[in-house]
Amino acid sequence: MFDFLIQGFDVALSPMNLGLAFLGALLGTLFGALPGIGPINGIAILMPLAYTLGLPAESALILLAGVYTGAEYGGRMSSILLNVPGDAGAVMTTLDGHPLAKKGLAGPALGLSAVSSFVGATIAIIGLTLFAPLLAEVAVMFGPAEFFALMVFAFASMSVMMGNDPIKTGIGAVLGVLIAMVGVDSGTGVMRYTFGMAELYDGIDFVVMIIGLFAISEILLMLEHAHGKNANQEMPPLGRVMVSAKELLYCKWAMLRSGVIGFIVGVLPGTGASVAGAVTYTTEKRLSDKHNTFGTGDMRGLAAPEAGNNASAAGSFVPMLTLGIPGSGTTAVLLGALMLYNITPGPMLFTERPEVAGGLIASLYIGNLVLLALNLPLAGLFAKTLTMPRWVLVPGIAILAFVGVYQLHSDLMAIYLMLIVGVFGYALRKLGFSLAPVILGYVLGGLMEDNLRRALSISGGEVGILWDSAISICLWIAAAMLLVLPWLLSRAFSRKSPVTA
Amino acid sequence: MRIAADRILGLALIGLAAFAAFNASQFHVNFSYEPVGPKAFPILLSAILATLSLVLVFRPGENGDWPDKRVTLKLLAVLGVLLVYALLFARLGFVVMTFLTVLSLARLFEASWKKAAIAGLLMTLGSYYLFTLGLGIALPGGHWLPDFN
Repeated sequence: MFDFLIQGFDVALSPMNLGLAFLGALLGTLFGALPGIGPINGIAILMPLAYTLGLPAESALILLAGVYTGAEYGGRMSSILLNVPGDAGAVMTTLDGHPLAKKGLAGPALGLSAVSSFVGATIAIIGLTLFAPLLAEVAVMFGPAEFFALMVFAFASMSVMMGNDPIKTGIGAVLGVLIAMVGVDSGTGVMRYTFGMAELYDGIDFVVMIIGLFAISEILLMLEHAHGKNANQEMPPLGRVMVSAKELLYCKWAMLRSGVIGFIVGVLPGTGASVAGAVTYTTEKRLSDKHNTFGTGDMRGLAAPEAGNNASAAGSFVPMLTLGIPGSGTTAVLLGALMLYNITPGPMLFTERPEVAGGLIASLYIGNLVLLALNLPLAGLFAKTLTMPRWVLVPGIAILAFVGVYQLHSDLMAIYLMLIVGVFGYALRKLGFSLAPVILGYVLGGLMEDNLRRALSISGGEVGILWDSAISICLWIAAAMLLVLPWLLSRAFSRKSPVTA
Repeated sequence: MRIAADRILGLALIGLAAFAAFNASQFHVNFSYEPVGPKAFPILLSAILATLSLVLVFRPGENGDWPDKRVTLKLLAVLGVLLVYALLFARLGFVVMTFLTVLSLARLFEASWKKAAIAGLLMTLGSYYLFTLGLGIALPGGHWLPDFN
């Protein structure tokens, strides 16, 4: 059963792939620590460059997955030291991480969070190794109708879990799917939404889309933040980045529990690190906050979300590798990267391309060790990048974005398109949209339509095929429950407890 | 009725949905092997988009902070710099345009002239060698400057 893993370690332990895992972990931590560049931005910027290196699919994926997990590690630094979350997954880390740093415990806090990240990620990678092949075996039975229902479920789960405004999450996802419609329709050869422009016949390029949406919009947002309140912060002294065995034992249950919860949250499609951080923090607070110390620098309040968000990062690979449904915005980007290599992740990945699935999982084990080894001694160095001035950072992002897009086809049209997408992304973010649903919709949109049309071709146009099997009925019911339950619950609660304000 | 950003957005999105649906209805297929065809899915999406946007029009969220006039001008300036970078990228070449772009972006992000010039020089040379020697990417030399390379 674990043949794929043995083969995977063969792949991942080759000198080149080891080097790439190391490079990915290093760059990822750096990108995660840099203000404004989270995992998605890091991958968006590096992906086209990785593509030009002519790496085989599994090596490119190992590099990018290293960046992803590394960025989840790096994101905690600015949370702890500056009280500014480096990315969405690290929001809860600020609650107890920053008070610890203010108490002069910045070093131990960084050490503890590195270890809890490691523990959380390890639990989730083991979970991934055990569950992914099982889920793949079930998913082999999925036909187009089941896949269509699964994607509806993924979008439902995303709109409920992601962001604070389900309507906007839904709109974002629909906009993403609509953008995916641009270009020639593979079924009939009809041009859709190309407006006669030859550059749009192949659709809006994936790289153009993510670099515009994330990197360019980030540049514009940074300009605003430069004029915001907390433009200058002072860094608390770091001290020695070490954590004692006593402190670790104090947090052991927080880490283990949060690792398991984070993994489960990560597996659910559409729910990423930010949800995992919030769920694990509140769970831990409820279970172990006996003396009301959470929020004032309790080590367990730091260990829980850190273990949780790193576990969810690894957990979100489960649906991506086995079903082809990304568990988070970042895995949606990784999924798109795989599609550039003409690999469509799905249940067959483990049997048809075991070197890709196994190599990736094996490299997660290795990358996780590398990250722990890098983050304990080098935390001081990474912390220095937090204060990198924006006038260095922004031109750097701009150059990487331009060259990354330009080298695709040596085509300037792609750059104009990237700028337009960037303004679009900026406007969406200003209007309170989260970008992850847009990218998920964009990545899944084409597949969703394909599956719908294939299902209806099989049935000769009879819509009933969409809820013909037990699996798809379960998925439809689950999706409907997800959409209706929060609304029912909030109504029930508001009736029970009248407003006290 | 209160004017909120979300209301305007909702109306704009309904317009977009109508446009997308109308456009989809014009897709012309001569002969199709399958029952659904290219129209149905985009029209379904437009319907969902219009429904969700309608909710936004009637229940808008908070208005959010919008940049003041000075920041808006700067945002436009940054976009202008990026647009000029794109326009002249092939004509003046990577080296010249990257230097000018880094210089102006750094200035817009409040670096002194000296710092901006140093950043421009170092980042231009660094990225040039990284891309050409390290990654083997062919960068435009600039056909307005034939003697440069």
